[in-house]
Amino acid sequence: MTQTDILSSEQEDLRLLRESARTLFERAGGSERARKLRDAGGGFDAELVRELAEAGVFGVAVPEDQGGLGMGLAAGGVIAEEVGRVIAPEPVVLTIGLSLGLLRRLCPDHPKMAQLIGGEISLAVAWQERVPGGAPADVTCRYAEGRLTGSKAWVVGVTGSQGFLVVAEQDDGPVLVLAEADADGLVIDKRTQADGSSLGELSFSGTPAAELASGGAVSAALAEAVADATALAAAELVGLSERAFEITLNYIKTREQFDKPIGSFQVIQHRAVDLNVMCEVAQAGVREVLAHMDSETDPKVRNPIASRAKARAVTAAKKITRDAIQLHGAVGYADEFDIGLYLNRALVLSAWLGDDAYHRRIWFDAREAEGAAQ
Amino acid sequence: MTDWNAMSDADFRKEVRQFFEAEYPEELRHLPHRPKFAEIEHWHRKLHAKGWVAPAWPAEFGGMGLNAAKLLIFYEEQQRWGVNRGRDMGVQMVGPLIIKFGTQEQKDYWLPRILSCEDIWCQGYSEPGAGSDLANLRTRAEIDGVDFVINGQKIWTTMAHDATHIFMLVRTDPDAPKKQQGISFLLAPMDQPGVDVRTITTLSGDTEFCEVFFDDARTPRENLVGELNKGWTMAKALLSFERIFIGSPSLAQNALGQLESFARGRGAFDDPVFRDHFAQAALDVEDHAALYARFADQLKRGETLGADVSMLKIWVTECFQRITELMIEAAGPDGGAIGPLQVGNVSVDVLASFYKARPTTIYGGSNEIQRNILSKAVLGLPG
Repeated sequence: MTQTDILSSEQEDLRLLRESARTLFERAGGSERARKLRDAGGGFDAELVRELAEAGVFGVAVPEDQGGLGMGLAAGGVIAEEVGRVIAPEPVVLTIGLSLGLLRRLCPDHPKMAQLIGGEISLAVAWQERVPGGAPADVTCRYAEGRLTGSKAWVVGVTGSQGFLVVAEQDDGPVLVLAEADADGLVIDKRTQADGSSLGELSFSGTPAAELASGGAVSAALAEAVADATALAAAELVGLSERAFEITLNYIKTREQFDKPIGSFQVIQHRAVDLNVMCEVAQAGVREVLAHMDSETDPKVRNPIASRAKARAVTAAKKITRDAIQLHGAVGYADEFDIGLYLNRALVLSAWLGDDAYHRRIWFDAREAEGAAQ
Repeated sequence: MTDWNAMSDADFRKEVRQFFEAEYPEELRHLPHRPKFAEIEHWHRKLHAKGWVAPAWPAEFGGMGLNAAKLLIFYEEQQRWGVNRGRDMGVQMVGPLIIKFGTQEQKDYWLPRILSCEDIWCQGYSEPGAGSDLANLRTRAEIDGVDFVINGQKIWTTMAHDATHIFMLVRTDPDAPKKQQGISFLLAPMDQPGVDVRTITTLSGDTEFCEVFFDDARTPRENLVGELNKGWTMAKALLSFERIFIGSPSLAQNALGQLESFARGRGAFDDPVFRDHFAQAALDVEDHAALYARFADQLKRGETLGADVSMLKIWVTECFQRITELMIEAAGPDGGAIGPLQVGNVSVDVLASFYKARPTTIYGGSNEIQRNILSKAVLGLPG
């Protein structure tokens, strides 16, 4: 199927969105731009963030009456796929899925909403902790009298964000608070990831923070936002896989060994076909999930299908980017070739929000629970 | 006459579903083998009376005249209810060729006999030297007065021992410059001296496949369909719809359902490794269905399918095989036992499923051939 055919099977509004997102990202620069940002310390391009905001990217899934485009997650997925193709480090899925995903559900009138949609700021979300079992539900980070104590782990988008949305516990249950990046008593420990981005460990000692929402609504909104971000990350991996495959396909068509392009050897051809099929299955599965999530409100359905999407996308991206290195031969191992950037980005996106084995377990357990309920 | 295509998809699906559910005999649902005609004759009569034997044929020839979208629904419902396709080689393969390329006399004579199953057809394409490389066939037909005289051998002929006629590709010009040229499409009666049918016992102990030997067998010259030496292009012209059908999710979906009840009864889900394997297989089927829907939508929009439809067959057949391998895994020490295994109130023939999955990656053009097609026609790889 040609690219045009794929586009023609999409709804017209999504097709237009894809075209404009692709133009925007391609103009900003592809893997070379990602390499420069990585080498410069792993931040992102604030100017591009503003351009993306002008195009409505961040507010794409925010309802119109809350200042967004109201196009839903399927549209978010279109943008995420395009982000994946150029391995852009800008916090697109983080913002659409997690930070705006939380705020639009919990405090849609908060001024930070407009700032996030407008690309003026970005906010990282601190919701996980290094607790035994790593269960997201175990929250020990405390919030009392306007101050935070404790620690948070695996916070992405630390470099370049102006503040943190922190999920903490207070006396009467969960609470979502906002801590500024330069707040007193906040220590940020950064670990560099394979793509140059940072993974932050935050520790709070009496750090001032403003309450945004509290109670059971916080846990519910967090679960929904995490599901959104999980499915959108899957879409980003699909775009990444597609582009990594295209780069590899072009390479095997031109690289000659034994006086022939290596792509004329049947064993190479069959491996290429398998990667292509894997890519198409992932694209179809993930797009189906995103469309389904838009028409479904029950978390018992939405959460496991988000897991289905991530499991599929991670399985495909891992295989495709790793085989891409093999098909490039020795040069694939050299940093100066772009394909390695895709491998490294896939490693980071695969680990973020759970890998394929994790999500298969989540999906299967939900299926079992559903079966037991019937 | 009903114009099925004018109905909404939902109404049409409902109508088809109701008919199958009400009329199809319970004991013939999800048959594990291909039935002989006698076994399924009663159902065939019902279908014939309803006018539903040939869903894809134009109404003027006694078919339902369904468009691609409705046809897909018809087959989906057929598979969902486990309705056996019966002896449908005539309807699926030879009928459409006669409709498209046959003379008026051929249409008038053969088509009603196909619908009524007065003639039961088998397909003579494969030969010992010509499987996936079909154009390599050697069976010859030479004109001798008013007849063709046929000599050679066909193989993997499904249910030839229960057929009255064979349609076949034969070499009519051995000197043609390319092997695809010089092939003709011929109809021949089986009931004559010089036609010898031998069944082939398969790995599973079944005898659905046959070898057919021709030793100066004869068929009248008017049994040539289309032009002499143009059989290859004709046979290829009809493969398009077959290619999405062969990649439909149903075989794998049914096997997955069987795997689940069997594994549950066996307590296999207590094992976290098995749970992960099962989840992988189940997700492989779900995501295949999403890809299948994309191609089906293309058909529903009235577009023709490209060569990329081959990816459905590769994915689903290999997935089907993995599922049946998981049944063996779940069976543990019983994994080599022939016949049904009773678990609770379900009975599953683990090995029958496994064997049934083997040829799916071989027939219809082996998956290696499908990969060759995709690499050239879709990925544009050289050589």
